[in-house]
Amino acid sequence: MPRWLRYSIVAGIAALVVVLMLAFRYDPRDIRTGTVGKSAAQFTAEKLDGTGQLSLSDYAGKIVVLNFWASWCPPCKVENPALIRVWERYRTSDVVLIGIVFNDSTDKAREYVRTNGVTWPTVQDGDGRIAFAYGVHQPPETYFIGRDGIIAGRHIGEITEQVLVNGIEQLRAQAAR
Amino acid sequence: MTRERALILVALFAILGAVAWSVRPNEVTAEGRVDRITSELRCVTCQGLSVKDSLAPSARQMRDIVAQRVAEGRTDEEIRAEFRASYGDWVFLSPSATSWAGLMWLVPLVAFAAGLAVALARIRSAAPSVAAPPAHEVAALRERVAREEALDLPQTDGAE
Repeated sequence: MPRWLRYSIVAGIAALVVVLMLAFRYDPRDIRTGTVGKSAAQFTAEKLDGTGQLSLSDYAGKIVVLNFWASWCPPCKVENPALIRVWERYRTSDVVLIGIVFNDSTDKAREYVRTNGVTWPTVQDGDGRIAFAYGVHQPPETYFIGRDGIIAGRHIGEITEQVLVNGIEQLRAQAAR
Repeated sequence: MTRERALILVALFAILGAVAWSVRPNEVTAEGRVDRITSELRCVTCQGLSVKDSLAPSARQMRDIVAQRVAEGRTDEEIRAEFRASYGDWVFLSPSATSWAGLMWLVPLVAFAAGLAVALARIRSAAPSVAAPPAHEVAALRERVAREEALDLPQTDGAE
């Protein structure tokens, strides 16, 4: 067999292995959603506490942090203290935090809210339409929406207080410019 | 003879008609369209399963969305575009031929070409080489033939 052919075959197999390794690696953080950089999908949904409906349009002109969560999701519980701290820090400002319940029963979600100290507005996404519109894979996922209504960023998985604050402050700085 | 030909012609037309009838385009039902579209979509909470095959709640919700869009009269391409807008090309199980991931479609062709090249190289190297005998051997053989002809001896090939 000619030398060039042997080298070509080895190079081809190596390239195939690299391609397959990249293709089969599964890290949701690498998955690009189609919604970042676009207008945030408008929605109206029932509040989890049963006090009526909440519309995203109610918060037009504000910085909105959407957090998709579920009571059956362990990382959601882990990130919850960070959400509480950030909510307490910004709740009287131009920033609003909205929780969206992802694939969960209303009873279990209400129990979660009660036992985990969730006091920010939270809605039920019963048919998954909100999650679909935002391109949510699985909870927890957090979306940062600027004052202009554009989705500025997304965080997949457990979020920290630092990441939340950085995301919010970046949007505030952009708005101030 | 003419009657036989006519019969053959009738039989041929009957066969062609039957084949044409069997391959006629079928009316695609709404459920069939939902099945086809959801079989192309990736279940976002599972690994390697289509929305059609997955029992995950999010896959069921996506199936409901597709069914609703079909009922609204949207085309397949419009429905695919809506999923692409939310999840990007990742949501499709088969990579688009026009994207970088579409290079995967070339892998079978490249593998086939490589296999063909290897097989040809092997066949070539295995073929016996028929090299011309050196000049002195040819000269010796000619001399021997001439000698044997002169002696009027039967020619042998040396196998006796």
